[in-house]
Amino acid sequence: MLAVDVKNIKKTFISKKDTVEAVKDVSFQVKQGEIFGLLGPNGAGKSTTILMLTTLLSITEGNASILGIDVATKDKEVREKIGVALQDTGIDNLLTGRELFFTTCRLWGYSKKDSEVRTNELLNLVGLIEAADRRVKTYSGGMKRRLDLGLSLVHSPEVLFLDEPTTGLDPGSRRVLWDEIKRLRDNGVTVILTTQYLEEADELADRIAIINEGLVVAEGTSDELKASIGGDVITFAFDSDDDLENAKNILSNTVQEKNELRLTVEDGASKIPGYLKDLTGQGVEVSSVSANKPTLDDVFLEVTGYRLEGSEESPTPDEESDR
Amino acid sequence: MESNRSFLVQLQILTKRMVFRVIRRPLAELPNLIISAFFLFVYDGALGGVFGGAASGTPFDFAKGNFVNFILPVSIVSASLSGAASGIYLVEDIESGVFKRYQSMPISRWAIILAPMNVGAFRVLVQSSLILGIGKFIGADPAVGNIGFLIVLSLAFIWGMGFAGYSVAAGVKSGSSQGAQAATFLFFPAIFLAPTFVPREALKGWLETAAAYNPTTYVIESMRSVMVDGWELEVLFRGYLSAGIFAAITLTFAVISARKATEKA
Ligand SMILES: Nc1ncnc2c1ncn2[C@@H]1O[C@H](COP(=O)(O)OP(=O)(O)OP(=O)(O)O)[C@@H](O)[C@H]1O
Ligand SMILES: [Mg+2]
Repeated sequence: MLAVDVKNIKKTFISKKDTVEAVKDVSFQVKQGEIFGLLGPNGAGKSTTILMLTTLLSITEGNASILGIDVATKDKEVREKIGVALQDTGIDNLLTGRELFFTTCRLWGYSKKDSEVRTNELLNLVGLIEAADRRVKTYSGGMKRRLDLGLSLVHSPEVLFLDEPTTGLDPGSRRVLWDEIKRLRDNGVTVILTTQYLEEADELADRIAIINEGLVVAEGTSDELKASIGGDVITFAFDSDDDLENAKNILSNTVQEKNELRLTVEDGASKIPGYLKDLTGQGVEVSSVSANKPTLDDVFLEVTGYRLEGSEESPTPDEESDR
Repeated sequence: MESNRSFLVQLQILTKRMVFRVIRRPLAELPNLIISAFFLFVYDGALGGVFGGAASGTPFDFAKGNFVNFILPVSIVSASLSGAASGIYLVEDIESGVFKRYQSMPISRWAIILAPMNVGAFRVLVQSSLILGIGKFIGADPAVGNIGFLIVLSLAFIWGMGFAGYSVAAGVKSGSSQGAQAATFLFFPAIFLAPTFVPREALKGWLETAAAYNPTTYVIESMRSVMVDGWELEVLFRGYLSAGIFAAITLTFAVISARKATEKA
């Protein structure tokens, strides 16, 4: 059985002022025990997709099921099976981490005694045992994210939805979270996560769907996606704009990126000398050249026509930090 | 595991959590309490000398010699406004995303909404009881005996739940805690367009008309009847009816708007 089966779902928000097609056509399937990454820029429709799959938003059109249970008609049953950590973390600042876990355990139906046991287990799991009796207000962004993850695990869900679990975290905290997510996967939990970081999708997800403007534009394992580009990416850099313009005319099918030209060809390394000869033969000065296997970045550029901005920089803390 | 999943258990757990939130912010409880106590002391201090025992034998003897009895209901109505915190509690959860988290769990949505109402009700009872205690301490002595305090408290409770409903409806509708907070502005017309300092017969012109349309008037008169005059069943009944209708209307709006807020968009 598939953990998640999404068929052509669509979400249209209709208000008095306008109509927004947040999700136009999204389909994907996630096998049990897999980490599935939904990669896309701001406004791509990631959160809207997650909210629909977690029964928090109605599905305008199409079908979705979790572990064979229809999301639209059996929302209560679906909620029993899933764990959810939303992008806007709903964390009660005035309570301590321990109180939050305890309350959540109780709400999931654990007895008081079992709730205490489970609370300690989870505090340990997400590394918050030392901060357990402090109010959540005093937690750092990374700690809050781990708390959020822990809270979504209380009832040992089979399918876990994480909406941008590492946005706003420094690289170290991100890695800690990645390791935790991988460990969950290794224990059989299916994870569907969204991200705007190529690196995260690449490193963490077993399979990736690239979502852009409400559409899934590519899907596969990271290697499949890279292979789909076919060949290698040769990058030429130029010091002067004239050289760059001339080179553009000499080489066909290039993509410009600032002072660089990129070219995707089979067996790139062996073709560099030939290209260089053509360029220098016509007086174009090349400052550097390299051939690389395509990255997810290149895949993203290929399928969307633009680059996922800022994906290589460390993220800026988001508004959540002042909660 | 299933045994804990009943509506009442969920409500209890969520209410407890909400109580924690209130206890962690004790200062938030003070303003309304202080204002209510302030009314009691200041008005008794300012007017008690004239309209208390000194008015005996004059046409102004409406307090029948004990002005604390007469002014205490105003303080109590002020204290009952603390029910308006319900809407603020609820909207805080909506704003912080806690509400969404609960919605993603198999929990009754009515438990999520009733928990803050519960705490609002509790707040009304505590604040009103404290004010009654202060009143008794400075000389309040109901004409019908101590059961008068209970009657006043029960009226305050119903009235307070009316404000709770109002604040929930306003808060959910505006979607912001400012919206819920704004509900407390009802305080001014409710308290001052009423026979606050003198009986209704002594008001004149437009204020008399306004007071006649203000349900607070009947609640205050009802409380006053047991404090000052003794058993006047018709007056008493009018108070319960006004408070009851007010609460029924606002709670209906609260339910409607809360249902909308918890529906899937
Ligand atoms: N309730 C709503 N009403 C109207 N439009 C909405 C609503 N929710 C989302 N949208 C719009 O739908 C689009 C997709 O939003 P969504 O939040 O799903 O994007 P996202 O991929 O999660 O972006 P981000 O990375 O910024 O979180 C955006 O254009 C957004 O403005
Ligand atoms: Mg999002």
